[in-house]
Amino acid sequence: MANTGKHIVEDVVCGFCGLGCDDLKVEVEGREIRPAGSVCPEAAKLLWRMDVADPLFSRLGSPCSAQEAFDEARVILNAARTPLFAGLGTDVAGGQALLDLAGGTGGVFDHAASIGLFRNFTATQRTGWLATTLAEVRNRCDVLLVVGSDPTPNFGRLFERLFPDSPLFAGEQRKVIFLGGTPGARASGQLARAEVSSLPATDLPEALVALTALVGGRTLAGNSFGGVPLADLAAVAAALSAARYAVVTWNGAELGNGDLVAERATALVDTLNITTRAGVFPLGGRDNIIGLNQLMLWRLGYPLRTAIRGGASEHDPALYATAQALKDADVLVWVSAFRPEPPPPFEGKTIVIGHAETVFDKAPDVFIPVGTPGIDHAGTVFRMDSIVSLPLGALRVATLPSVAEAVRRIAGGVA
Amino acid sequence: MRLRLKGGRVLDPANGENAVARDVEILDGRIVAATNETADQEYTLNGDIVMAGGIDLHSHIAGGKMNLARLLMQEDRRAYPEMRGAFCGCGGGRAVPTAHVTGCRYAELGYTTVFEPAMLGANARGAHLEMADIPNLDTGAYLVLGNDDYILRLIAAGAPQAQINAYVGWMIEATQAFAIKIVNPGGINAFKFNARKLDLDEANPYYEVTPRQVLLTLIRAVTELGVPHPIHLHGCNLGVPGNDDTTLATILATEGRRLHLTHLQFHSYGTEGDRKFSSGAARIAELVNASPNISVDVGQVMFGQTVTSSADYMSQYRNRGLASPKKSIGMDIELDAACGVVPFEYRDKSFVNALQWAIGLELFLLVEDPWRIFLTTDHPNGAPFTTYPHLIRLLMDRDFRNAQLATLNKAAQQHTMLAGITREYSLAEIAILTRAAPARILGLKDKGHLAPGGVGDVVVYKDDADREAMFSKARYVFKNGRLIVKEGEIVDLVAGTTHVLRPDYDRSVEADITRWFDEAVGLKAKHFRVADGELRGGAGPTILKCEGAA
Repeated sequence: MANTGKHIVEDVVCGFCGLGCDDLKVEVEGREIRPAGSVCPEAAKLLWRMDVADPLFSRLGSPCSAQEAFDEARVILNAARTPLFAGLGTDVAGGQALLDLAGGTGGVFDHAASIGLFRNFTATQRTGWLATTLAEVRNRCDVLLVVGSDPTPNFGRLFERLFPDSPLFAGEQRKVIFLGGTPGARASGQLARAEVSSLPATDLPEALVALTALVGGRTLAGNSFGGVPLADLAAVAAALSAARYAVVTWNGAELGNGDLVAERATALVDTLNITTRAGVFPLGGRDNIIGLNQLMLWRLGYPLRTAIRGGASEHDPALYATAQALKDADVLVWVSAFRPEPPPPFEGKTIVIGHAETVFDKAPDVFIPVGTPGIDHAGTVFRMDSIVSLPLGALRVATLPSVAEAVRRIAGGVA
Repeated sequence: MRLRLKGGRVLDPANGENAVARDVEILDGRIVAATNETADQEYTLNGDIVMAGGIDLHSHIAGGKMNLARLLMQEDRRAYPEMRGAFCGCGGGRAVPTAHVTGCRYAELGYTTVFEPAMLGANARGAHLEMADIPNLDTGAYLVLGNDDYILRLIAAGAPQAQINAYVGWMIEATQAFAIKIVNPGGINAFKFNARKLDLDEANPYYEVTPRQVLLTLIRAVTELGVPHPIHLHGCNLGVPGNDDTTLATILATEGRRLHLTHLQFHSYGTEGDRKFSSGAARIAELVNASPNISVDVGQVMFGQTVTSSADYMSQYRNRGLASPKKSIGMDIELDAACGVVPFEYRDKSFVNALQWAIGLELFLLVEDPWRIFLTTDHPNGAPFTTYPHLIRLLMDRDFRNAQLATLNKAAQQHTMLAGITREYSLAEIAILTRAAPARILGLKDKGHLAPGGVGDVVVYKDDADREAMFSKARYVFKNGRLIVKEGEIVDLVAGTTHVLRPDYDRSVEADITRWFDEAVGLKAKHFRVADGELRGGAGPTILKCEGAA
């Protein structure tokens, strides 16, 4: 970080949406950071930094020293009976420090973006699934079925990443079928070379069940399924069956019945694999949720939505979801280093280990401002597929602690 | 810090010591020649058996497929809750234990070094993060190659061997690997093009490259790079009756070049008998005995619930109908490889499972040279590693073995020659299988023995005629000279190190690899690369340099 004049940093890794783009170009000048190329709107917003003073550490809205904030957080946690560690927007090192801390304090762990993840887990854990990863979709997928609305608003460069100029095996005539959605302008631009079609649907799970039946060679009685005319479904089924490598994708977080969509999409892909090759490619992965989930699996043996107490842990996807766990918690530790997301409304004591620009409706008991991984300090994040992880670098000198440092400072005196 | 173990009997086959009464001294974490200096700590052993720390050269302990297995098999986690004790053994599980449980349970058995045998390049960073959280064990990982589109493209194009070698060297360095593993050579890739099987001389539907070509090309690459461990091969046709012929053909294909065949049990199935499933162990053991270039580990099956987890998605997809409970995960991964996770229950009343058990033991007992066969269950695929003490007793105690055999599926008993095999392993042979031989074949010069200069990984077992009891709970385990197990209980957690290999290779290959990652993979090669500082929480790896002819 010796370079303090205006300079361009190439190949910046992005840890925000979970797609794991690593070719961003940003302009850095002192403490200012401005996107300069290959940056989607979401990342542009989250990367942008002005040369402004850091927010102060605070207690009940009154500025205090960093040490006083760490001490106060420790006092609150030592007195906590059922703390909830939520948000969890942090790199892997931050997650490790939080789990170390919770080994002493106990507590429930959940991530702010876990709704979509757990909708998918209903399929993964009940039947398992046949999945694929980004580079495979990018090069092999000749028919892509997008279930639900256009994912581009959440994953700004998704179709750019999946549809490169020269895929290795997918050929020239790649088909993209939107079921229950239509591509927006940005998606359409990225899909310029693909053959794109859209089918409105009223009931996605029902349409997927019908597709699975058709792919399996069954004859269906009826004119339409899930609001899609049978003839259209038959055409989609034919395209999927004829594909060399079909992929079904959806964003569980955006679908109210995402659990059913995940199950039905899994069944469709299972059926396709009897004769051809296919995979599910579920979307998600915001703010390193996958990294936190992976860490919990190898450390505790359970995914997110797990409680640690008395040296043992217990997983319950309903009881330990943030909204439910808030009802039982007496202390909320809200962690959000990637974006200025304030904590949910909560009556008990609140410790925020958060983004510098977080705006509060109600001042938390303790606010510990932290740097952003990939901007202020290096760190590791996982991509949405749970296989690939990426090294985030630092773009400027850190003036605030990382989540890991902050948590270690708090832990300094935990009994 | 000087530590003295007094009055033990030293079993150190690497140095020809078979229960030699002598003291073992450790100074600042390393074994030194015995002195008369005052020791900081002294342990009186009264004739207990002293061995080097155990080394497992094939056990799936980390990486994405293990987390998929944990996610899929929450039953395993719930059934095996946290370990009790003063030290954090956080998590639980038996077939897919958490990082801490893996480190603690292995240590209790007297193991101090374990190698993850199937790290995917795409998942290397994650696997290393996970290994860093395993206490009490040194680790290392074999990189899966041979199904990646980069190498198949090179082989198909007839690229010069030097270019392949450079790529292999680059990949070992970039992923912080210790050796090269091939899983179903080219078959995982062929499955992505919808091939459902791929025999040794069958061509990949896209590249028209055969498994034999992949195997021989990579054998040559590791030889010329000077990689100490030979190619670690999970062969074609895993689990398919009749694969004994494939295995024999694979051994012959090496024409005398070194090759390690892993979990050989799963590749030793014949098609004789009315059930078209029989033991090929005798034929295979005979050829292994006659082929000094070949080493094997067994992948013994033990009865009970486990979850199989493999990069061999082609085979795992074929086996998913046998899943118990009925669920499984498969995944094509990053132009690199794949994985398949299938829960499995081996039942002693099942003909096939009972015969698998017998085939594994036949291999153990018919392969003569203990320096070329290794004790594995392919954890967790044949069974969890916690069954090792039971397996050791099966090998050392013929009456016990035959009593077990008598309880199994009757038809299976008729199809194995096991009852007639009289061999019993000696303690010295067990020490070879689990310590001296793995250190030798991995090129770890300061491990697996108790001579001066060796690391202070030392295990003390109380001699017990019940070998299962003896090996279940080590009396003492020292890791780098620090006591971590006392009377079978964990008393301390220490950080291990990760062994990596650094070959010399032609760095001009990097330009083409960089272009490949940019265009095909859609990820920068420099971000694929795992830095030294990313290992072991910043401590970095333990590097073994190798200088080949490349």
